[in-house]
Amino acid sequence: MPFAIEVKNLKKSFGDLQAVQDASFNAEAGEVLSLLGPNGAGKSTTISMLSGLLAPTGGDASIMGHSITKEPEAAKSSLGVVPQDIALYPDLSARENLVFWGKMYGLRGAALKQRVDEVLEIIGLTDRQKDHIGKFSGGMKRRVNIGAALLHKPDVIIMDEPTVGIDPQSRRHILDNVKALNRQGMTVLYTTHYMEEAAELSDHIAIMDRGKVIAYGAHDQLIKMVGEETRIDLTLNTDGEKVLAAWKATQGVSQINSLDGKVTVLVDDSNRVLPHLFEEASKAGARITSVEIQEPNLETVFLHLTGRALRD
Amino acid sequence: MRIIDLTLKDLSQIFRDKRSLLFLVAMPIIFTLFMGFAYKSGKDEDAVQDNRIPLGWVNNDPGGVVSQELFEMLSNSDSIRVVELAAAAANDSVRKGEVAGVLIAPAGYSEQAEAGDDPQLTLVTDTNSAQGQSIYQLLRTSVTKVMSAMEIARLSAGMTGKPADASELDAAFASASRAWAEADSASLVKVELAVEESFLGDWYGDNPYNQASPGILVQFAIMGLVSSGQILVQERKTRTLQRMMSTSMRSWEIIAGHTLAMFGVVFLQIALLVVFGQLALGVDYLRSPLGALLVSVALSLWVAAMGMLIGAMVKDDSQVILFALMAMFIFSALGGTWFPLEVSSGAFALIGKAMPSAWAMNGYQNILIRGLGLESAWLPTGMLLVYALGFFVLAVWRFRKMDM
Repeated sequence: MPFAIEVKNLKKSFGDLQAVQDASFNAEAGEVLSLLGPNGAGKSTTISMLSGLLAPTGGDASIMGHSITKEPEAAKSSLGVVPQDIALYPDLSARENLVFWGKMYGLRGAALKQRVDEVLEIIGLTDRQKDHIGKFSGGMKRRVNIGAALLHKPDVIIMDEPTVGIDPQSRRHILDNVKALNRQGMTVLYTTHYMEEAAELSDHIAIMDRGKVIAYGAHDQLIKMVGEETRIDLTLNTDGEKVLAAWKATQGVSQINSLDGKVTVLVDDSNRVLPHLFEEASKAGARITSVEIQEPNLETVFLHLTGRALRD
Repeated sequence: MRIIDLTLKDLSQIFRDKRSLLFLVAMPIIFTLFMGFAYKSGKDEDAVQDNRIPLGWVNNDPGGVVSQELFEMLSNSDSIRVVELAAAAANDSVRKGEVAGVLIAPAGYSEQAEAGDDPQLTLVTDTNSAQGQSIYQLLRTSVTKVMSAMEIARLSAGMTGKPADASELDAAFASASRAWAEADSASLVKVELAVEESFLGDWYGDNPYNQASPGILVQFAIMGLVSSGQILVQERKTRTLQRMMSTSMRSWEIIAGHTLAMFGVVFLQIALLVVFGQLALGVDYLRSPLGALLVSVALSLWVAAMGMLIGAMVKDDSQVILFALMAMFIFSALGGTWFPLEVSSGAFALIGKAMPSAWAMNGYQNILIRGLGLESAWLPTGMLLVYALGFFVLAVWRFRKMDM
């Protein structure tokens, strides 16, 4: 069975800048694949190519077996795209927006009306359907933004960071919607820089950094890449140059990353190493003001692979 | 079908904006009235102006047949405007420049002429001035005619062998004078025009709105470039263009949908102005309704397609306005919407005539001023459609290269 999404050596350059370099990954039909990476990793450029907004500089990709370069219309007809920004007409109502986009996806007559009603139900805005989008809150706009991509019941839906900048309640609503869509059989390509979203939703995760896919696999497979390493996040009361140097030399510490007074340390055994970290800090005249111990997660994997935190 | 859906969506958005309706209807009507009034004022001034050379007339020969004939001949002249003066005021009028000269008929002038003498008229003028010289030459012609008529009358009366009485002589003189007048008015030389007929008289025909109405109509149609260009910019700003690009619609379909919407808006504006011109200003677009319709459709398509090209070239609203204004001034000025190209000459007229706006004006003026029919609209319509197609192709090409 062909992949719902198949990306082969996809490249995109803007002048000298190589935004995406030989990206390759696949998504089977009916799965959720997350593209995880920090801002500027190349996630949005990759999905812009898959959506037909940008022409690849090299490589190819297919949506439901249709090449995005050779059969773009066929590829796009299997696709629903939820852009990162709100892509709706603010002077039209929620219903008018959905009706218009339904028509753009080829729906007509009773089928269009029925589908618009269904989508309004899915996004929980049936009672606000006649209000102009311009009057909606950010979370409600996001929901209509998603709804517009669901109208034609696409085989594949691409969501570009749909939870950026919204309240926790709307975020929960969107994540639940993604799961519901996936249960209905839709293949979802979900980009995010929130590792907990990727962990919660995904069957497979492709981690991107600086235009490259640096890891691909199921959540547990990726976690195993860092072995049994535990991540300790600490805050120091000083810059702590001497402390960091001492910690690097401590046995059991595999990696240290420091940003804005917060230090992330990967260790093989937190119970054994943590007392040494306190001791070295004390010797250097610094004080640890907070400590958080985390079991291996995707953040740890990213740190392990790049030497930087996802938030960097 | 999706092209039409896109068109209807655009139109629905445009007509919800009350400000755009004001701009669409009220502004062009106000401008049409203003421009028509300006042309009309110019025409009235022309009407009261008399360019004939003013000549003072002092008649010291009241009741004289010959002096009266001379007075009438001068009064009917296309070149001389006779102003009757009292003898005392004559010199003063010349000095003040109220008349170019004064012609004085002495007492007994007619009697001497009938007797076969050569009576002398007196002309008071500055012979060094151009008007003084002109009036001298003009007078010589008229006086020669009058004296010739008298000579002919005398000879005619003398052929009977009897002494001519006064009434016979007067009748013969009147006959001879009429013969001169008829000879003057008869077309003995056929004159063919070396210039177009439209150069003669008022270039807007009998109604100054014949220029103002289509001129403003075309100019405001070109103003549609702003709205047309802003459609793509707004769609990009709201990211809806990006969403549309992710559907299976092709680039040309997206441009076609928006172009049709703007075609509708511009055409509606033109239709309103045509109706206003026809009903309120007496501009006879309905002399050839189909011709006016063809030109209007083609004009609307050209503006809509060119607006799309501007929208596909620019980055934001301010650039749309800049490009649209530049285009409006160039196409309006060179295309003859402010004044007809017939009154301009040289490179200006040559370049102007190639402008699509000039073809639109030409199409309308063929109907309104030149009184031509449907056949006169085909060429302007065809040229405008060629421009529309060219701009549409360029807009699609540029749209495909746009950064989303």
